[in-house]
Amino acid sequence: MDYPIWDVALGGGMLMALVAIPHVIVAHFAIGGGLLIAVTETLAVRRSDFELRELARRSSLVLILVSTVFGAISGVGIWVVAGLISPAAISALIHTYVWGWAMEWVFFILEIVAALVYYATWGRISKQAHLLVGWLYVVGAYLSLVVINGIITFMLTPGEWLASRAFWDGFFNPTYWPSLVLRTGIALLMATAFMIFVALRAGVERREALLRYLGWWLVAGCVVAYAGYRWWEAVLPGTVRNLFRGAEPALAQLAATRSFALWSLTAALLLGLVVLVLAPRLARPATAAVLALAAFAFFGGYERLREGVRKPFLIHSHLFSNGLLLSAIPELNESGVAAHSGWVARGGEDGASLGRALFRAQCASCHTLDGYQSIRRALPSRADLAALAAAEGPEAAERAFRAECAACHAEVGAQEMQGMLPSAEEMGQDPEMMAELNRGMIAATLLELRDMGEAFTAAPHGAMVDTAPLFAPYMPPFVGTDRELEALADHLASLDRGAEPTPARQGGL
Amino acid sequence: MIPNLIPSLDAAGLPGPPALFHVLLVSTFFLHLLFMNLTLGGTLLAAVAHRLGGGRGGDHRAVLAARLTAINTYGISLTITTGVAPLLFIQLLYQQYFYPATILLGWAWLGLLALLTLGYYAAYLYKFRGLPARGSGGGVWIAASALMFLLVAAIHVAVHLVSVQPERWAGLADGAWSVLADPSYLPRLLHFVLAGLGFAALVATWWAVRRARAGVEVELNTAIAAWAWRWVLWTTLLQVVDGFVLLVLLPQPVMRGLMLGGATTLVPLALAILLGLGLLMMAARTAEPAGQPGLVGGTLAAMLLAIAVMSVTRHQLRALYLAPFTADAAPTVVPQWGNFLLFAVLLAAGLATVACMLRRVLGSPASGAEAA
Ligand code: HEC
Ligand code: HEC
Repeated sequence: MDYPIWDVALGGGMLMALVAIPHVIVAHFAIGGGLLIAVTETLAVRRSDFELRELARRSSLVLILVSTVFGAISGVGIWVVAGLISPAAISALIHTYVWGWAMEWVFFILEIVAALVYYATWGRISKQAHLLVGWLYVVGAYLSLVVINGIITFMLTPGEWLASRAFWDGFFNPTYWPSLVLRTGIALLMATAFMIFVALRAGVERREALLRYLGWWLVAGCVVAYAGYRWWEAVLPGTVRNLFRGAEPALAQLAATRSFALWSLTAALLLGLVVLVLAPRLARPATAAVLALAAFAFFGGYERLREGVRKPFLIHSHLFSNGLLLSAIPELNESGVAAHSGWVARGGEDGASLGRALFRAQCASCHTLDGYQSIRRALPSRADLAALAAAEGPEAAERAFRAECAACHAEVGAQEMQGMLPSAEEMGQDPEMMAELNRGMIAATLLELRDMGEAFTAAPHGAMVDTAPLFAPYMPPFVGTDRELEALADHLASLDRGAEPTPARQGGL
Repeated sequence: MIPNLIPSLDAAGLPGPPALFHVLLVSTFFLHLLFMNLTLGGTLLAAVAHRLGGGRGGDHRAVLAARLTAINTYGISLTITTGVAPLLFIQLLYQQYFYPATILLGWAWLGLLALLTLGYYAAYLYKFRGLPARGSGGGVWIAASALMFLLVAAIHVAVHLVSVQPERWAGLADGAWSVLADPSYLPRLLHFVLAGLGFAALVATWWAVRRARAGVEVELNTAIAAWAWRWVLWTTLLQVVDGFVLLVLLPQPVMRGLMLGGATTLVPLALAILLGLGLLMMAARTAEPAGQPGLVGGTLAAMLLAIAVMSVTRHQLRALYLAPFTADAAPTVVPQWGNFLLFAVLLAAGLATVACMLRRVLGSPASGAEAA
């Protein structure tokens, strides 16, 4: 809230996804791949199997190029992006779990050094020494998951930590173990998805055996991941689960994400069984690519679901993703945001300029102006009102209503709403009145958003807040004084280009 | 009223005494600097050596370029790995200065990721597609890699300077690129570049001297050592000059703080200056380092010490820059001693494991059917 804002048209969330999704795929590959490579080399040594050794050796080049380079840089990238788009939030997380990260760093060093040594010493040191390095890599990589998993799961289900503020209460939180199982399965999935490509390049006579071998690993990964997922879902607090499960999930989109993820996993399992285990001669780079995509889709879907149900929090029931602390709400409503943030105060005493600064401080971490989650589209406008008024026939009215009004007016029907509006002709004659109505709606929306703050603070201390019944379950409350609320309403109303843009507005903001 | 643009301290407080985290920040940053010097200086030096050697494998400079690249493809990984820890601690101790600076230079700071990735893969391309693998060519890759790392350094220096001067933030937010007008910007960047070149050249000399003493390709290694040693000499000379320029360009209050800081600031500073001059004298003592392995080893030890001391001075300078703003900001401290202990034990165990692993690897050479 008291940090400057970095403008990125793409939207902070989108940018984070661009960095984080490849990172988590590669990071899980680094864990599962390490394990698979170490097991494979161990088997190769035992059986004196040259092709198995080659599979391990070639995979280790991929591992090093992808994970110690791209994985490490994109891992740093997550911090970089988080610091740019939600500095207060990432700062709070780091202040809470710095020792966790410090411990992870130790394992990270072991992992990276072992990876480099492993790759560099093929054919140059004894088999036993090389195996030792490979297994040390596995230990380092897996232990870093063991640590980071505590921090990631803490964010969604802080559990006892909310009351005790004790490090280990938050670390071994309710979803810790299920998530560790799930991620172990995912790691195996990611590893096989990559290694199939390596196996396809093996000599013809051994290719099928190698693919079948990888196929069993893939099946194991699917089973472990599925078990972990169901366990994860089962231990989620009811209030969180109900957001995407049950007859009427509060966030229908997340319910769809869940189905998508589970169907992707099913597809990966079936493909793996058919193309790798039963009929490996059918395997081609194209089928391998489809399989890898299915595995990524499951993983991506799950991550989206996990992030989605956590919204609008970074740390559930403690800290919102725009950096607002739940405990700070009353004070900020009382004395105002400008009193706490020089960056907001730079916006002036009141009016649209202060409103703009408030928007940047509170809303811009999720809403862009016209891009991803565009605020202009989320808000009603005079053109929206006119479109509904002008809609002819129930179907057109329904369509216009659903597109522009239903998000905030679920309790009335399209035609009922049309009846409440002045006619299109009257609207044309009295643009002032329309602007007034529109600004009134925006101010009323902000009031609703500020009222959410009371619901958040009224929730019992130490328990997870149930967001489902809120006006906007995916948004933090608006905080600020009445004057700040009016200023933000002024600013948001000024975004309405309306039917007849005035010259001053044509230049954008 | 001028709004106070510095964000408030994090309400969560520090999970340990500040001094502990300052020590961790400086010591992990020192570790990072060692690999960073090899990456930045080593890549630049390799690019120059490649060019001067005509891009063909037979030349001693080309061999040096290949050697530096061989180290670097691993060294870059370690630069990033060791960089993670200071990045963690800086976000803990200086978040209210660090984040605004990165945000104000947002695109550049984000661009760092792309530059690092490109620099890294370019180095690999040189290794696999250029002179080290094929005996010639690939100069574009190593030059590109060097340029990327140079830009990374330039961004780091800019972010640092913005972070320690909150009085510049308002101007910067309004679009004035005032950082680049900071008189100390270029000398400061040069300070890092010269340190990198000097350190990489010294490590290369040391290695070549060792090889020559062991009787391996004596003529070649002697030539490499002599060539790299000249780089040690000249970069150190420039470094001493640049160091004084930088000192003179410090803002008045910072300079005063440094000079009036008593032993805590003056001892490291004096030591750094003495080490710089000492290094210069050692480097000037001979033009044939292969004949004086003791001198080369001693120079390397002195340079390591100089880097360590400069890490401390750099940290103190930041504190002095920020002194007017941090006066009444004392974070709440809620120590987690158990976790610190666990971290310390894990760190010791982790480093011991790495050491054992390396010993085992070095002690188990094998080839042919016996090898992995
Ligand atoms: C944590 C992220 C987040 C923040 C911060 C946030 N919003 Fe939203 N907002 C959302 C999401 C997600 C939606 C739903 C968008 C969609 O359905 O496409 C939304 C929707 C809206 C809508 C449309 C109405 C509705 O209920 O769907 C309005 C208006 C809105 N936001 C205003 C604001 C304002 C004003 C602020 C700042 C005070 C703000 N938002 C801050 C995430 C956020
Ligand atoms: C971002 C949320 C939001 C959107 C989108 C929205 N409205 Fe509203 N609107 C409100 C709120 C909040 C109120 C005030 C409700 C109340 O006071 O009970 C309101 C009130 C109204 C009223 C009653 C005005 C009055 O004075 O009582 C009308 C009519 C109306 N809206 C029409 C529309 C139409 C038509 C659309 C679609 C073009 C629309 N709204 C889109 C939030 C919204």
